[in-house]
Amino acid sequence: MAYLGGAALLVIVVLTCVSIVGRALVPLDIGIGPIRAIYDLTEIGMAAAVFAFLPLCQLRRGHASVDLFKPLYPTVLNRLLDLLFDAGMLFIAVIGAWRLTLGMLDKLRYGETTLIAQIPVWQGYAASLLGAVVFALVAGFCVLRSLRTLGGKTDAEPEHV
Amino acid sequence: QDVTLRLHQFLPPVATVPAQILKPWGERLAEASDGRIAIQHFDAMSLGGRPPELIDQARDGVADMTMTLVGYTPGRFPRTEVFELPFMMTDPVATSLAFWEMVESDFQASEYQDVKILGAWVHGPGLVHTADPVNSLEDMQGKTLRGPTRVITDLLGELGATPVGMPLPAIPEALSKGVINGTVIPWEVTPAVRLTELVSNHTEFAGDEALYTATIVLAMNKAKYDALPDDLRAILDEESGAKLSAFAAEVMYAADAPARQIAVDAGNTIVTLDEAEVARWKEAAQPVIERWVAEMDGKGIDGQALIDQARGLIDAKTN
Amino acid sequence: MSNIELALWSFPVLLLLIFLRAPIALAMIAVGATGTYLAIGTPMMVLNQLKTLTYGTFSNYSFSIIPLFLLMGQFATLSGMSASLFRAAESFLGHRKGGVAMSAIGACAGFGAICGSSLATAATMGQVALPELRRYGYPGSLSTGALAAGGTLGILIPPSVILVIYAILAEQNIEKLFVAALIPGIIAALGYMLAIMVWVRVSPNSAAVKERVPWAARMRALGSVWPVLAIFIAVVGGIYAGIFTPTEAAAVGAAGTGLVAMLSGKLDLQGLKAAILATASSTAMIFLIILGAGLYNSFLALTQLPQMASVWVSEQGLSPWVVLTAVLIMYLLFGCIMDSLSMVLLTVPIIYPIMSVLDFGMSADDFGLWFGILVLIVVEVGLITPPVGMNLFIINSMARDIPIGQTYRGALPFVLTDMVRVVILAAFPAITLWLVWVIDAL
Ligand code: NA
Ligand code: NA
Repeated sequence: MAYLGGAALLVIVVLTCVSIVGRALVPLDIGIGPIRAIYDLTEIGMAAAVFAFLPLCQLRRGHASVDLFKPLYPTVLNRLLDLLFDAGMLFIAVIGAWRLTLGMLDKLRYGETTLIAQIPVWQGYAASLLGAVVFALVAGFCVLRSLRTLGGKTDAEPEHV
Repeated sequence: QDVTLRLHQFLPPVATVPAQILKPWGERLAEASDGRIAIQHFDAMSLGGRPPELIDQARDGVADMTMTLVGYTPGRFPRTEVFELPFMMTDPVATSLAFWEMVESDFQASEYQDVKILGAWVHGPGLVHTADPVNSLEDMQGKTLRGPTRVITDLLGELGATPVGMPLPAIPEALSKGVINGTVIPWEVTPAVRLTELVSNHTEFAGDEALYTATIVLAMNKAKYDALPDDLRAILDEESGAKLSAFAAEVMYAADAPARQIAVDAGNTIVTLDEAEVARWKEAAQPVIERWVAEMDGKGIDGQALIDQARGLIDAKTN
Repeated sequence: MSNIELALWSFPVLLLLIFLRAPIALAMIAVGATGTYLAIGTPMMVLNQLKTLTYGTFSNYSFSIIPLFLLMGQFATLSGMSASLFRAAESFLGHRKGGVAMSAIGACAGFGAICGSSLATAATMGQVALPELRRYGYPGSLSTGALAAGGTLGILIPPSVILVIYAILAEQNIEKLFVAALIPGIIAALGYMLAIMVWVRVSPNSAAVKERVPWAARMRALGSVWPVLAIFIAVVGGIYAGIFTPTEAAAVGAAGTGLVAMLSGKLDLQGLKAAILATASSTAMIFLIILGAGLYNSFLALTQLPQMASVWVSEQGLSPWVVLTAVLIMYLLFGCIMDSLSMVLLTVPIIYPIMSVLDFGMSADDFGLWFGILVLIVVEVGLITPPVGMNLFIINSMARDIPIGQTYRGALPFVLTDMVRVVILAAFPAITLWLVWVIDAL
């Protein structure tokens, strides 16, 4: 999933560079110009990429947090907290995917498009929904992982980095 | 029973529209209702989100009322675009009254059915502001210009320029860096983006019609509107609609003159294209109108009828 | 409970959640959403906000610069430029007392010019310079402290992800912020070198010196770092000269560093995968915090607390300088336990509007730049202050034989130079603003 997002990011890099080169060639008047849709494409690609990056971050416990007091808390409390926050993240992920779906249906119904390229906005939502749904699934897996750890099986706990 | 209504919009509190239209309007509502209606103003998107989300925020009750530029959601309000077509607008107040009348008779029940529209207006004549002068149609060739709405970016492309979209606050930076060569906006907005310091050429159009305008609506959450006590709803209706729309257009139009004076005082060049030249622009803009009509056909909307109706109403509202 | 009380209560609740190790994004989303629910009396406002808010936030064109800068940093890390930078700096400074450590600082500064993130700078320079420092007999505390401090140059020297976020939150000009950061960033590097010089004088047996390198070899070493200079000029210069928008510049920087990495043979499929995964994880983390900050701040706006706080502060009749000092000290304290990015995202939307109405005797634009640089420095100090300093952890994890206590102690002299620098830059705004004025006048 993250690779898909990464591919989107690389495509944006390449397209932006192509567009800059195109703009630089305008004075030559050889029919080459900047990519008109670059702004719209960047926005859509970036949204899809960020959504696609969420599952990885969740899986790796990559969210920023303050672990100052972790060593002071008993192990059981730490595991309970992990479970609690994984559950909270699952809650957010599920709600997020659900609301994003409704948002997409709205955009589809109203036929909204982007300003310059007039790409239907719902397509950007749909591309994002892919990542959002996988995020919810991965968040569910993380809850199970925390449950297992709480039950005493420590094999699934990755090093916090 | 008292009501407090949250009004969310995208302009900073000092801008003409919030300071001289929305806040006075809120005060009038408070006065007419003996303080039973209170409008809480949330400016500059402080309730979150970005401008394109405003209309959904009103629909979904994230805010009770939102003011938005219809062009922020391209394709969503196709009928309204009739007022944004090139050389459609004449007098802003007459055009706003016509716009409001069509909202009442048609648009409210069609494209605005999910919200209650309280006001519908247009800004003053849009014109071209550029670093290098635009004295004729040919001067548009190859320029990169910022356009605010779908119809207008289409127009800019048709006239030979490269249209780009960007939010209003991004204009000064883009201009000073040469990312864009100019922009189209009405005079009223120019001081807010310090435009007269960044470009020194302004191109106006002779004749009654403006190059373009953009449509603005004040939308209210439908459930919230319906839930108002009858007497308060009557007061809100009384202060909104045609009265608010005409008032808003008047205030915005009146703000054009002092803004234009800043450009004059700065020694900038203001050219007015003569009738003959404007006729060439109108002809060049014709494909934009034709494309729009064809597009409306595709959506099952009689575009030509909308154009005729809008023209007729604007004429009728012009004394 | 009134709305204002709700808003005031939200601070301790948020802090409690954060101390309980909640992911900061999760804490902000939870408190913002719950607060809005309590203020309005229905969950529908938040639920409906979320229909468009996440997509709207993640697709915001201004934010697209962030993953691009992160990717650029990853490619720069792969490219081996850190090693050539270190060799070049060593050829000039290696024969002096404390020279190897000073070279590490110099190389960090150079790397900071093409990398927008402190952690990436600390990690990559640590790999290159740490073995060398140990070989020349530098004490563990000095080695890790210097590298952790040097890592902060990744952010202090433009381009910088934190400055981008500050620019967006405070509606400031990104290019001007980058220019304003340049001189303070160089002062930071010089301050760190000074700290090393003093250290090796105070404990004279602390390090060996290298042999003097002849000038011809120095020039060769310098010649090998031209891609760094080229990319820095393309990115920061390109933005300022108006050739690129900031997002375009970030894309160009990513493409440039990617190209250098590819030509040096370091960017194989394995490397590309690692770079993408690292970018992905950080991007997701940052954007989720941005979303959380958006929800939390819209809750605060709803309660009208920020407006009232701003009025309250101005009615106290305090000197603006007292307020500024209090704010900077607050950042330093928070920095002991929080990471810099979350701090900026959490606090700038609340604090900036309050500060910007105070009169420091300068224009609004100048204030925005100067305050931004001050905030940047104090939040970056947080990366090297105990007990939670990400750079300290990163460097320490590379030197398993050095106890974390020694690393903490090693960082203190550098923290001290940071404090001195903040005081100087706060007292003399012209140091920060001068270059901006000069370039604007051109
Ligand atoms: Na940097
Ligand atoms: Na710290």
